[in-house]
Amino acid sequence: MIKLHNLTKIYELNKNNKVVALDNINLEFQQGELIILKGASGSGKSTILSLLAGLSKPTNGEVIIQDQRISKLPDDFLALFRRENIGFIFQKYNLIPTMSVWENIALPLIPTNPDETILKEKLSKVMQQFNISHKENSIVKNLSGGEQQRVAIARAMINNPNIIIADEPTANLDEKLSLHFIQILKQLKSSNKTIIVATHDPLFFDLDFVDKIINIHNGRVQ
Amino acid sequence: MQYAINSLLRQKTKTIFIIIIFTILTFLLTSIFFITHSIKYELDTTANNLPQIIIQNQQAGRLTNIETTILDDILQIDGVSDAIGRVWGYYYFKQANVNFIVMGIDNFENQYKKSFTNISNKYDLSDNNSMIIGNGVKKILKKNYYTDYFNFITPGGTLKKVNIKGVFNSNIPLESNDIILTSKDVVREIFGIDEQYFTDIVVKIPNPKEVNTIATKIKQLYPNTKVITQEQLKVSYQEIFDYKSGIFLVLFIVALFTFFMIVYDKSSGLSSEEKREIGILKAIGWKVDDILKEKFYESFIISFFAYLVGVISALIYVYILQAPLLKNIFIGYSALNVDFILPFVLDTQSLFLVFFLSVPIYIAATIIPSWRTATIEADKVLR
Repeated sequence: MIKLHNLTKIYELNKNNKVVALDNINLEFQQGELIILKGASGSGKSTILSLLAGLSKPTNGEVIIQDQRISKLPDDFLALFRRENIGFIFQKYNLIPTMSVWENIALPLIPTNPDETILKEKLSKVMQQFNISHKENSIVKNLSGGEQQRVAIARAMINNPNIIIADEPTANLDEKLSLHFIQILKQLKSSNKTIIVATHDPLFFDLDFVDKIINIHNGRVQ
Repeated sequence: MQYAINSLLRQKTKTIFIIIIFTILTFLLTSIFFITHSIKYELDTTANNLPQIIIQNQQAGRLTNIETTILDDILQIDGVSDAIGRVWGYYYFKQANVNFIVMGIDNFENQYKKSFTNISNKYDLSDNNSMIIGNGVKKILKKNYYTDYFNFITPGGTLKKVNIKGVFNSNIPLESNDIILTSKDVVREIFGIDEQYFTDIVVKIPNPKEVNTIATKIKQLYPNTKVITQEQLKVSYQEIFDYKSGIFLVLFIVALFTFFMIVYDKSSGLSSEEKREIGILKAIGWKVDDILKEKFYESFIISFFAYLVGVISALIYVYILQAPLLKNIFIGYSALNVDFILPFVLDTQSLFLVFFLSVPIYIAATIIPSWRTATIEADKVLR
């Protein structure tokens, strides 16, 4: 279970300029749910995802995932927690452009010094699952937007995490590729993954396999 | 480690540029150390082989030849075991624009140097038309087509033909390189030195503690003479060396300054791409330790590789190629211009010094800004 309790995030731009990105958010998600966070740009969706993944710490309140108060974890434990439990698909993919497809996908495994055979097995499995095997050795910056997104998904899935977080996943895709991504989400949900997607793409709002749609406006749940 | 290697290969141009700059600086620093160390070693050895006392005659404040009769008086002084009159001079060889030292030794005499005793035992120079030459002299004469003999021009304008009998190989190349050894009579003929005179007299004293006392006694006996002890010569050699090493010091400081400018530039911040990569690595579950370990490997590979290439290049440049350009600043301490071979002396202290001045500093300059970025929230870095 994921619980956001009295969550507030204030960005201090300078001494006299503070931006309240989230204001006392309380939410609960169950294992295996697909949740859509909808709202306009700047509404606070991405901030919720960032706090959920432990990429930043709340100003007040806490994030509890599987009974762990992750907002209180020290940096290194948080990194470990992220590596083992969370797959993050970023809006701009956040791939390393000069690396090949397989190098990007393997990145989360590198610090664990994996056995080469196991690494190859895992890579082969995710690359097949997300239909990117044929580009295995291509340099990421030479791929199309759709291909880069599949690499980003494969990277998020390489550790087989329980929680998948996607920030505006279809923002840079055409409709056909967006529909393809939705199919991938459906496939992931069927394997009982908890999926949280922040989007303002209407394609997501009428899906029959979505469990919750949460509207975020000016840092508050509406 | 593999990730670090791949990372360096991905940024080929940048990696090659850093390695080239780093290698050049290591090469310069190491070469300077190698050259100064070799020459210092050579000068120290030369100075230790100098006579304990040299007596020169002065007239009107200028050096002039010394009378042979003085020799017997010197031998009478208590504590003196031997005194040898030397006949020698600088011979200017116009075609090559160099000076050779022409030194006279007689086979029947005691020699003041072991290397001369060896020559005296091995070669008979009493025929008055043969000579033993140093390696540098040999090369220059060969370049000018003198392989078997050389024609000296005497002060009277006549030619004195002297046959080359052998090559003088001493343990101290700086000492033997530009020297010609022949009989004293031949030297007298070449320089026009009368039989009643020596160029100077060297004195042997078994007890080193008595050197200064005996030097004072000689000075009292012959107030016109200039009495130079081995210690005084060492000091003057050291002064010449210190002056020349000042030039090297300037080069050394310039190289070091350039290196620290690069280090400062690197430590003052990472590029936006580097920051973004660290942010991505953190976001996908890399710990700060993992990131720093990777950065350590990267900087170690670059700096150690550049250090090795720099040191090996310096070894080749100094000891195989004989440091063209740089060596000329030092060699020719007696206004000579002959080839001198830098002796190989493994200077481990300098190697360690250059290592500690470069590799750990570069690693720190890479790790510190990476650590600064890695300890910031990933969200902030990626924004």
